[in-house]
Amino acid sequence: TELRLSHQWSNKDVRHQVAQIIADEVAAADVDLEIKIFGSKSLFKPREQYKPLSRGQLDMTVLPLSYAGGQQPAYNLTLMPGLVKNHDHAARLSESPFMQALEAKMADDDVMVLVHGYLAGGFVGKDKCITKPEDVVGQQTRAAGKAFEQMLAGAGASIASMASSEIYNAMQTGVLTAANTSSSSFVSYRIYEQVSCYTPASDVALWFMYQPVLMNKSTFEGLNEAQQTALLEASEKAEAFYLEEAKKQDAASVKVFQDAGVEIAQMTAEDFAAWQAVAQETSFKAFVEEVPDGQKLLDMALSVD
Amino acid sequence: MDPLVLGALVAVSTVIVLFSGVSVAVGLLIVSAGFLMIFDGMRSLELMPEILFGKLDNFALLSIPMFIIMGASIASTRAGADLYEALERWLTRVPGGLVISNLGACALFAAMSGSSPATCAAIGKMGIPEMRKRGYPDGVAAGSIAAGGTLGILIPPSVTMIVYGIATETSIGRLFLAGVIPGLMLVGLFMAWSLYSTWKTGSARLLTAGSYTWRQRLEILPRVLPFIGIIIGVLYAMYGGIATPSETAAVGALLCLIIAMLIYKLWSPKALWHVLRDSTKESVMILFIIAAAGVFSYMLSSLFITQSIAEWIGTLDVNRWVLMGTVNVFLLIAGFFLPPVAVILMAAPILLPIITTAGFDPIWFAVVLTINMEIGLISPPVGLNLYVINGIAPDISLKTILKGSLPFVACMVIAIILLCLFPGLATWLPDAVMGPSF
Amino acid sequence: MAGQTPAAPDEVGNHPFLRLVAALSTVAGWCSAGMIVLAVAITCQMIFVRFVLNGSTVWQTEMVIYLVIGATLVGLPYVQRLRGHVNVDLIPLALPMAARRGLAILTLSLSIAIIGVMLWYGYEYWHFAWERGWKSDTVWGVRLWIPYLALPVGFGLLLLQLIADLVGVLTRTETPFGLGDD
Ligand code: NA
Ligand code: NA
Repeated sequence: TELRLSHQWSNKDVRHQVAQIIADEVAAADVDLEIKIFGSKSLFKPREQYKPLSRGQLDMTVLPLSYAGGQQPAYNLTLMPGLVKNHDHAARLSESPFMQALEAKMADDDVMVLVHGYLAGGFVGKDKCITKPEDVVGQQTRAAGKAFEQMLAGAGASIASMASSEIYNAMQTGVLTAANTSSSSFVSYRIYEQVSCYTPASDVALWFMYQPVLMNKSTFEGLNEAQQTALLEASEKAEAFYLEEAKKQDAASVKVFQDAGVEIAQMTAEDFAAWQAVAQETSFKAFVEEVPDGQKLLDMALSVD
Repeated sequence: MDPLVLGALVAVSTVIVLFSGVSVAVGLLIVSAGFLMIFDGMRSLELMPEILFGKLDNFALLSIPMFIIMGASIASTRAGADLYEALERWLTRVPGGLVISNLGACALFAAMSGSSPATCAAIGKMGIPEMRKRGYPDGVAAGSIAAGGTLGILIPPSVTMIVYGIATETSIGRLFLAGVIPGLMLVGLFMAWSLYSTWKTGSARLLTAGSYTWRQRLEILPRVLPFIGIIIGVLYAMYGGIATPSETAAVGALLCLIIAMLIYKLWSPKALWHVLRDSTKESVMILFIIAAAGVFSYMLSSLFITQSIAEWIGTLDVNRWVLMGTVNVFLLIAGFFLPPVAVILMAAPILLPIITTAGFDPIWFAVVLTINMEIGLISPPVGLNLYVINGIAPDISLKTILKGSLPFVACMVIAIILLCLFPGLATWLPDAVMGPSF
Repeated sequence: MAGQTPAAPDEVGNHPFLRLVAALSTVAGWCSAGMIVLAVAITCQMIFVRFVLNGSTVWQTEMVIYLVIGATLVGLPYVQRLRGHVNVDLIPLALPMAARRGLAILTLSLSIAIIGVMLWYGYEYWHFAWERGWKSDTVWGVRLWIPYLALPVGFGLLLLQLIADLVGVLTRTETPFGLGDD
């Protein structure tokens, strides 16, 4: 049996490595199961993977779940400011009833999770450091994710929407003065060449994005028992690797920015609380209004310690 | 089936289907559907509209209709003639002033138009009859305009550069800058050839014909100011922090429409509708090819053909210049038959990994590829510019136009060779303006 | 001739079906051009809001993308009517008139088949988005059935225009591939 896995990253990216581990382990198990990886958007565009996945036209994907927030608004909780504090907290969240509630929603779309995983990110500023809400007032900002746009707008930033590939150019010409996205995107788009200050994820971080390995549920159930076992065991190994690597990403990005002579700023616990207060009034509020059982899901997530 | 064999099968089928006279975009859809159905099952067929929509779901594509409107609105006024006349009045004392004026006007017009046929038509309408009246050989008159028109896609803005930038995820701002110096170099080569051939056919006395007073020269200057204004405005918006390159196109389109209306009195709804109709027609045609080529490349990727070809080339142990030569021949042949946009979209996903693995710069390659496409525009059997010239000057036979264009093809080949010898011709300017490339 | 022919509408004669389709395609062309103009205006408004007012631009990018997609898909029948979709007509040119007519009927039928497939699955995709209440994953959160509507509408009208072209060739009100009897 051949399964097709699609993702958007290069073959050096940690998320590709996670997929590769699953493919290799499954192949080694010798259960007549082959996973063909289509990386670097070679099959589907990033935001267009969930639809074919849920309709069984694609078997597997590594996907930021919030990309599918338009189809299941509850997924917007997987890219919500201040919900996740650090990588270990993220791992506990993945095991919590909150995640089970999200997995029930995925099951409605015939989708299941093979590997849980969160990646962190931070802020960059062209002229100044961005650590607390006052820092973004009047800045032209590009945010990754709807909830972050709402929070930043609430803090007084001006929001410019553009593809992440345009950040570099927009920063260079001054169309943008601040941006927020994942550590790995900052590095791969060489944003460090255009900014004066980087606020990475450290003890506390605002920006965490849930990026699991997903599979079409019916396709999984159509596999024989040996194949299912092999796939689940491979996923377990991949998940452990993913968590370790996710932690290393942030440190690695700091080094890259430092080497480029960019100032590194830290977000304090008070800054984090200030952001969370803004988020409560903006993105949390909008989320609860949009999703019928939104308050319940949000409480479930916030109750994870 | 082995993906490489499958790839060969796709290539043969594509050639047969496209040569049957079906439109290029629909032909690509037909081939894609056929192969998806047979080798990937009906489920893939379901995905076609979704993928087609997804390929168009890209903000950068906005700039294609915008840059086309820029060219079309200016071309519908007498601005092209003004530009050409101004250059001529100033260059009469220069040997071969007339043909030099025409090529210069083409180059300047190219800086406002994203497409080649538009450039060709705008300057040719006035330039060709004038050159013939002054006794320039038909071949030189027609060939210089056909070739000068091709600069539309090399000198920024350029629709094909945008398409390349989208297909390969390279910076469009950088690509635009990369075309500037090679574009000027090509203009130089074209001028050199035109002068030489006019002189050789014994028309030397024509070279200095015509004379204008200083008054005549000065009074025409204000009429070229709008051009300069548009070019500076667009450049400033693009590189001065006002807008991203894709957004700048809209500024340019608006500027050109306003100038066409205010300065050239393009007021009547009918005239405006003609501009809009022609722009819509060309844009929709190109965008549909982009969308269909997206489905085609999904098919190639889904059947693992793209990946296998790249892998296979990687295992070949050939000299990188032999590789580049082969790629050029392939592009040339494809360009003979297909419009540039289709060639770029079908070839870029397959060629780019090969090119970068062999150590070539993707920005530099974009320029080489574009010059290849320019050759296709003035060569049979599908040379869009040739037919534009044929429309302007129906009494010059297609054979004469073709013969007149051939030496310009040689100039383009020389330009490609120069670019191979001195890659800095393409990469220096973008690096100087935007910092070293990725 | 090869490539694009000048913007001369094809011969529709007095055939009511051909005239109806021609009218529909023309209206579609106006809509397409209108969407392009609107896209220019909105982009300029976005630059103004961002650069001059230093304000937020949340919905413009998305709106412009959907307008350009809409202009493309809805413009298809009009461009088909103007024979603006570029093609390579080497083989048709080389053939005698009778064979050329046969080839035109074949390629038009194939085109009708593939556009029929696109219409069918395009409608299904649109319907799916409508039924499930899909939205875009942005702050603006457009209901996706609205932009997706361009798929069934555009391909539906293009299908009609292609059928009209086929009827035109069959009833000999039009020459195959728009090529004259040379
Ligand atoms: Na140009
Ligand atoms: Na050609």
